[in-house]
Amino acid sequence: MLKVKNLVKEFQSGDHKVKAVDNISFEIPRSEFSTIIGKSGSGKSTLLSLLGALDKPTSGSILVDGQEITKMGDSKLIGYRRDKIGFVFQNYNLIPNLSALDNVMVPLEFAHLSHAEQKKRAVHLLDQVGISGDKQKRKPSRLSGGEQQRVSIARALANKPKLILADEPTGNLDSATGQLIVNLLKNLAKTEDTTIIAVTHDEAIAHQAAITLHLKDGKLVK
Amino acid sequence: MGIISRGIKNAFRNGIRTTSIIFILAVSVSMALVMLMAMKTVQQKIASVKSSIGNSITVAPAGVRGFEGGGTLLTDQNATDIKAMAHVTGVVETITDRMQTTQDTNLASPVTPGSFGNRQAQRTQSQYGESSSGRQSASGQAPANFTMPIQMIGTSDLNSLAALNASSFNITAGAKFDTSSSANVAMVGKDVATKNSLSTGSTFTAYGQTVTVSGIFDAGNTFANAMILMPLKTAQTLSSQTGQTNSIIVQTDSIDSVSSVQSAIKTKLGDAADVTSAQDTSNEAIAPLQNIKTISMYSLIGSLVAGAIIIFLTMLMIVRERRREIGVLKAIGSSNVGIVVMFMTESLVLTLISSIIGAIAGLIFSNPILNVLVTNSESASNSAMMNNPNHDHGAMIARFAQAGAGVQNAMRNLHAVVGWDLLLYGLAAAIAIAIIGSAVPSFFIAKIRPAEVMRAD
Repeated sequence: MLKVKNLVKEFQSGDHKVKAVDNISFEIPRSEFSTIIGKSGSGKSTLLSLLGALDKPTSGSILVDGQEITKMGDSKLIGYRRDKIGFVFQNYNLIPNLSALDNVMVPLEFAHLSHAEQKKRAVHLLDQVGISGDKQKRKPSRLSGGEQQRVSIARALANKPKLILADEPTGNLDSATGQLIVNLLKNLAKTEDTTIIAVTHDEAIAHQAAITLHLKDGKLVK
Repeated sequence: MGIISRGIKNAFRNGIRTTSIIFILAVSVSMALVMLMAMKTVQQKIASVKSSIGNSITVAPAGVRGFEGGGTLLTDQNATDIKAMAHVTGVVETITDRMQTTQDTNLASPVTPGSFGNRQAQRTQSQYGESSSGRQSASGQAPANFTMPIQMIGTSDLNSLAALNASSFNITAGAKFDTSSSANVAMVGKDVATKNSLSTGSTFTAYGQTVTVSGIFDAGNTFANAMILMPLKTAQTLSSQTGQTNSIIVQTDSIDSVSSVQSAIKTKLGDAADVTSAQDTSNEAIAPLQNIKTISMYSLIGSLVAGAIIIFLTMLMIVRERRREIGVLKAIGSSNVGIVVMFMTESLVLTLISSIIGAIAGLIFSNPILNVLVTNSESASNSAMMNNPNHDHGAMIARFAQAGAGVQNAMRNLHAVVGWDLLLYGLAAAIAIAIIGSAVPSFFIAKIRPAEVMRAD
């Protein structure tokens, strides 16, 4: 499903260049929960940004379901991000003045679904991640960290993406809640037929995945 | 929830900030509205004052005002030349003289000398060695039997109040004479008639000739009621000033042509004449109104610029504050256009609410503010008129009084005019400012790649 070949991302730092991602190649099959592990500064967040088309690589290719995303124009990338990718962020990144339900409806609005359809799917997704009833009408400030992350996962699933990219999804959660989130992601990979790649620095979480990629100084190591 | 509703919701995200921005913008909007109303109102009043003052031009011999000064009088030919000019609709010629009550006429003046008259007589005595009554008197003293001379005006038009120095002109007995006549006829002021027991058909002596009273008039003021009127030619002949005139009043077809006709007369007559218009006189009085208009215009521009800067900086601040959110929206599939529209909606909501509140405040506070401006300008107007060294207090007394009264009344009655077209233009300007103010910062932010935007924190 995901094929990465000779991926490089360079940044200018002062008067010299830094390779945040240094010639990485790997493949991840469909509907798998995979992890990328590495210490801070290893390049894992940069790699995730490249996989999610949030940034453009310096060189290399990324194939998602046969589509070469590194060659896409900006307007096509908008559609790609809307339809093919879901994001889960370490600090949830929910829109603070919208309810949990409204937050999940935002990507559905970008997909031009009717309001009724948006609401129906959003309610279903929130139920699926364990946010139901009155909690769906609460704003993020009235939800716990774990609940906010569940809402974020529901939002990521909104347009039935082929690939979900989770950047340190348990980073701001306690271990028990974090484990709940990991379990949720593992289940959803199967039930929603979506490939999930989670970036983490937590070994315990990383080894729960079927595939674990180790990143160090921008390179994949065994 | 769509982009528009999210944008509207975002406008109220931070209650304190929203309230502050709306308050500041509303002040700017209300100021702009008040200044706009002031400008429009003053424009209307200036036009009204000019219209009420009229479109006449006065041509006097250079160096001569009334009976003061010296030089050569104008002629009938001058009047004919002026009448032939473009935009001239009418010309009134007058010749005046002071009939000495002992040597020129047997009429007695109804005006008592008083301190002013006696002073004039005393100074005449001192200069010429004879009294104005023609009798010798002790040097340095007004003669004991001094009487005021009687003013005589020969005119080509009995309908021109300015030419007659009259506030009004009503026939109390008899009829008007034919102004084109050269017969020895006259109309007398009511005070002259009373003093000399004259009635219609009575005769009196003037310049050694017998003159018949055709009518008696009330000119509305003491000075004018103490004079006599004659047909122009009659007056010229009797006073030995044949073919001469000391005042030509010109009427133009509109206020707009006053200036061009004035220039044409100056060109034609050159140094022989002083040419002034009622508009010249009014310009001194209107100057404070013009000042209000100028101040209002600059204040209006300043308010609009301030409002535009406020909304621009506000949206810039908001967009920068929500960089990460913009990155997230792009990550989950929002287009650049969607982001710009969302911020534009937020900006429009803030601007529209501010405009409505500002408009209401502007309407409430416009009258007190304009009244303050008017009071200060009224004082300035009075000072301007009295202190102007070039201001003519002589032969244009009647027209000056009319102009001054018109301006004073206009300024007292100055009040704000509310027009829907005014408000619609203002609203359109506010919307344009809101759109530009928000589109620019959000457009630039939206162009940035999501990873850079989200990396910024």
